Amino acid sequence: MNLYLPIAEMSVSVLLMLGMGASVGFLSGMFGIGGGFLLTPLLIFSGIPPAVAVGTAPAQVVASSVAGALAQWRRGNVDLKLGGVLLSGGVLGAIVGVHLVSLLRRWGQFEVSVSLMFVTLLGVVGTLMLVESVRTLRKTQAGGSGSLRRSGQHNWSHGLPFKMRFNRSKLYISVLPPFMLGAFVGLLAAIMGVGGGFLIVPAMIYLLHVPTNVVVGTSQFQIIFVTATTTVLNAASNQSVDVVLAALLMLGGVIGAEIGAQAGGKLRAEQLRFLLALMVLAVCARVGWDLVNKPDDLFSIETVVS
Amino acid sequence: MRRDWGFVVAMLVAVATCVLPALDGLLTAAEAQASPQTPPQVSPPTPQQPPAARKRNPPPPSSEPRRGRQVPVPPAAQAPAKGDEVRALELPPETVQADVSTRNVAVTSSFTGTEIVVFGAVDNSRQPGADAVLYDIVVVIEGTPNRIAVRKKSQLGGIWMNTRNASFDGVPSYYAIWSTRPLDEIASEATMIGYEIGFDHVRMTPVGGTEAQGSSSRLPAADAGEFRTAMVRLKNKQGLYVKNDFGVSFIGRSLFRANIALPANVTVGPFETRVYLFRNEKLLSQYDVRLTLEREGVERYVHNFAINWPLLYGLATVLLAVGMGLAAAVANGRSVR
Repeated sequence: MNLYLPIAEMSVSVLLMLGMGASVGFLSGMFGIGGGFLLTPLLIFSGIPPAVAVGTAPAQVVASSVAGALAQWRRGNVDLKLGGVLLSGGVLGAIVGVHLVSLLRRWGQFEVSVSLMFVTLLGVVGTLMLVESVRTLRKTQAGGSGSLRRSGQHNWSHGLPFKMRFNRSKLYISVLPPFMLGAFVGLLAAIMGVGGGFLIVPAMIYLLHVPTNVVVGTSQFQIIFVTATTTVLNAASNQSVDVVLAALLMLGGVIGAEIGAQAGGKLRAEQLRFLLALMVLAVCARVGWDLVNKPDDLFSIETVVS
Repeated sequence: MRRDWGFVVAMLVAVATCVLPALDGLLTAAEAQASPQTPPQVSPPTPQQPPAARKRNPPPPSSEPRRGRQVPVPPAAQAPAKGDEVRALELPPETVQADVSTRNVAVTSSFTGTEIVVFGAVDNSRQPGADAVLYDIVVVIEGTPNRIAVRKKSQLGGIWMNTRNASFDGVPSYYAIWSTRPLDEIASEATMIGYEIGFDHVRMTPVGGTEAQGSSSRLPAADAGEFRTAMVRLKNKQGLYVKNDFGVSFIGRSLFRANIALPANVTVGPFETRVYLFRNEKLLSQYDVRLTLEREGVERYVHNFAINWPLLYGLATVLLAVGMGLAAAVANGRSVR
């Protein structure tokens, strides 16, 4: 069963795209990440033009994040206030990011920039998360408490102005760190065609010390808005969003996300972090290998839309 | 709960896979009714019908806007070989006429590529039969011209990145050469260059170090050739630059045909089809037909929407995503409780 995509101008297998959406949706529901960092490379690998892949993947992330966030909302795991601060920064970052994309693309350095960013960020985040989760796992096995939160902990960010109380996250911190974090992630999200969940989840845990159960729901909540923004901007400025492809991916994605959320509920938080760390490092290794390994073909062609 | 999910999945899959093509049909039918002068698909004329008969009937004024045309061949190329002079005076000159099986190919949601039959006849053929190799036919199909950027990677600090690039203007998005024999047996290299037949002679103009090129510097001529070869090779790999040395066959004294497959990844738009008639390495006649790939039904509406109202299209996509996410969450919530 094949379907012709109106924007990508190619024919794809319906089952393959549904399956791709479902497997990414499963992971997204399980870890509270958008899954864009897996979906974009998968789409490009299956022959979708890179521009269309980067433009369309966020639309799928919107759908799976809505489904995921709603499920978390029912369990009371979304901090709307913190999410609001994050997403206001995120939307700003996304707008700057989309403009940066067109600049990089004109220079022909888009791909390598994206790959380098992927490797650096995934490598750092993955390693940190792996070390921490292994340590916590050992501690819980030894009989101690697996809780990450230590009360009375203070760091430099407590000296910043504009303090705000985030009740659900049990935090009283300045709005600047979450706003900056949101903006940074939004910028990367637009460039890399991802939601930024793989960055914002660890950053909220380790930098903002948000309780793990609130992290997943809140990050999904803010990802909805960041990816919605990049989708609209990509459609408006690059005409690279394929709604038929997006619909297929969403369909698989929302189903996978629900199954993933249920599977994730059966695992402990540090186990989830350990698995996510492994996955992030695997993608990092894959992208890194392509950067240092001699490509099969030194040449590449791209149709320039003038 | 599992049963509920099965239902939701089945419903959604049904919508995606069945309704789209069905809608296509409806919309196409509606369009055909709305504008009877331009039927979306011209029914293929039967190959048995002699093209000469078609010519005698005056063409309807509006139903065939893209009728093929005889291309005047420069007199130098038409000059008969010395030995032929006497005969050429007695016999009328040979000309070629051709057409394509489908002039307007509808690109719908079920489009997976299409096969085009190019057929035609040699008028005043002096060929005793199909097996006598007196004439050579070359069919060239060219897609819409685009600007293409070719980039070359090299290692920089251990990392493979694009370091050099070249852009070409007017590069056909698709290029097919179907012929009765390998091109080098049909005519000399110089002739082929003159008519832009062959992968090496495709029209494309290198674009200098313009603003669009960014940091790259101008390329020397030798390098431009390297990039050009690479582009043809990559296009060939994508199935967009194709060649068949024995793809055209004669059926009898004057009739010939060629089956040419257009893959699903071709750029939608007009295609120039040029049919060349050669004898003794000389071009005798050329005939041009235009063939068009057009989006129909849902494909067309979606594409027009995306191009004409990009902002609205983006918002609609987001709305669809939100709706689907909500539907899934609600369906799941209901089945849990």
